[in-house]
Amino acid sequence: MTAPAAPLPLADEAGAAKPPRRSYLRKHPSVAIGGFLLLAMIFIAVFAPLLFTVDPTAISTARRTRVPSELYWFGTDMLGRDIYSRVVYGARVSLIVGFSVAILASVAGLAVGLFSGFVRWADGIVMRVIDGMMSIPPILLAIALMALTRGSVGNVIIAITIAEIPRVARLVRSVVLSLREQPYVEAAISNGARVPRIIIKHILPNTIAPMTVQATYICASAMIIEAILSFIGAGVPPATPSWGNIMAEGRALWQVRPHIVFFPALFLSITVLAVNLLGDGLRDSLDPRLAKSI
Amino acid sequence: MLAFIIRRIISTIPVMAFVALFVFSLLYIAPGDPAAVIAGDQASPADVERIRASLGLDRPYLVRFGEWFFRVLQGDLGTSIFTSLPVTQLIAQRIEPTLSLMVLTLIFAVVIAVPMGVVAAWKAGTWVDRAVVGFAVFGFSVPVFVIGYLLAYIFALKLDWLPVQGYTPIAQGIWPWFKNLVLPSITLGTVYIALIARITRATMLEVLQQDYIRTARSKGLAQNSVLYLHALKNAAVPVITIIGIGVALLIGGAVVTESVFAIPGLGRLTLDAILRRDYPVIQGVVLIFSFVYVLVNLAVDLIYTLVDPRIRY
Repeated sequence: MTAPAAPLPLADEAGAAKPPRRSYLRKHPSVAIGGFLLLAMIFIAVFAPLLFTVDPTAISTARRTRVPSELYWFGTDMLGRDIYSRVVYGARVSLIVGFSVAILASVAGLAVGLFSGFVRWADGIVMRVIDGMMSIPPILLAIALMALTRGSVGNVIIAITIAEIPRVARLVRSVVLSLREQPYVEAAISNGARVPRIIIKHILPNTIAPMTVQATYICASAMIIEAILSFIGAGVPPATPSWGNIMAEGRALWQVRPHIVFFPALFLSITVLAVNLLGDGLRDSLDPRLAKSI
Repeated sequence: MLAFIIRRIISTIPVMAFVALFVFSLLYIAPGDPAAVIAGDQASPADVERIRASLGLDRPYLVRFGEWFFRVLQGDLGTSIFTSLPVTQLIAQRIEPTLSLMVLTLIFAVVIAVPMGVVAAWKAGTWVDRAVVGFAVFGFSVPVFVIGYLLAYIFALKLDWLPVQGYTPIAQGIWPWFKNLVLPSITLGTVYIALIARITRATMLEVLQQDYIRTARSKGLAQNSVLYLHALKNAAVPVITIIGIGVALLIGGAVVTESVFAIPGLGRLTLDAILRRDYPVIQGVVLIFSFVYVLVNLAVDLIYTLVDPRIRY
């Protein structure tokens, strides 16, 4: 999210005495818990059709706004759609958006950050653009971009990715700039090593740890922004079962039928919590210097 | 010092220029042809062309940007497509609730979060510390509208302590105004509190290990005076930075919070504008919010030099 860029672990620290793999999960329980919850969500998303669901878009006016019961586990919404099925299928949208944005924003941010860090004459311009983009709050930027296009999962992914790229680019650039000063990188440059070789041998290995941590936070933030976009009617199309959409449909009735909002909210919170726990755990284990301080 | 302040203020100009260019491009590439809309269904292509020329829509991109920017500098943000009212007027009508909500949240959050972080760092490793860290993770993970509905359900619907929804202007009395804003402020503030508490704790942990803290303790100063006068003052820069950066969370969250609690503010205006594709309004709101955000962070940078004389430029 908006946490400041992590300081770098020094190269030699990363390689020091790795603990045996089996004790890793015990030593970092938040990785274990977060990973388990996230795997459970992925399982739900992948096997949604097999989890006793019905068609999540099937409308039936005869069974509108039912409370949870044996037949409709999470009740039904205003159009008589089964909320349990919609929530289970909603996991797909959330996870697809979260993972896609994390990967796309990381790759694009890496490219921009490397470019800005190595091509000195372009650095000033690129950084001004990034400063400008970062001065528009991410949710607002995503809303503004979504206002230009039709609501679809692809467009939501693109809009959130654009809003998240500056953060990764900043991080990568700061890594590049601090590594350029390192004696071993200076030595490599004076030995006549080409830029691609320096990037692959020296820069990338040092960016992987902070970028992985950053990617998990971006994933969590993307899932929240997707839900917010859908909730306010600027996200995926209303018929698509997404947690934000289900909550948007429950908004008018929440005082009498709170369950419509409650179940998607619960699933969204658990998923974001899982990703955040995973991110915290990874930060602690990948970046021992930072783990001591935060 | 003065040179730094002037330099820092000048450095916001390219940033604001980029934001303006971006916001202008938004309208430029927005689907739909204003000339065709104004001309109506019966108009011939020639009529549409004439209207386009009279509106100046046929001129090049940069010329139009220049004219638009000049008008913005004069406080003219254009006219809403839907209501035909000036965008500045619409924004002026809606700014009080949003500003009230954000300022109250800011005060709530700083008053709660900073002591939380300080105590957590002081009692590092104890259950107090773990509770604060746990709250921080929770605050980051539970989306703002979930907290909103939860609080409204418990404190307004079930306990009936506070109003469920709505807003009372401050002109009708401080107390009704405050009562309506308590739940929205706590809702909006949760993620912000989590962020500030977390950074305060981390910075304080570092500062508390310094030699001068040991000295202050060994000369017998009271615990609170060590914590709040010596330690917190030295931890102030990162904490103030994150308070400034976190305003982005407040702005984004305000749109959602206003929708949950039916507050007729800028967030509500944005929402209606999106649903109606009223681009001049969307443009105006994004511009205003970004401008506020840039100003807040400019203020933060200037405050540094006041709280930390070690920072020299």
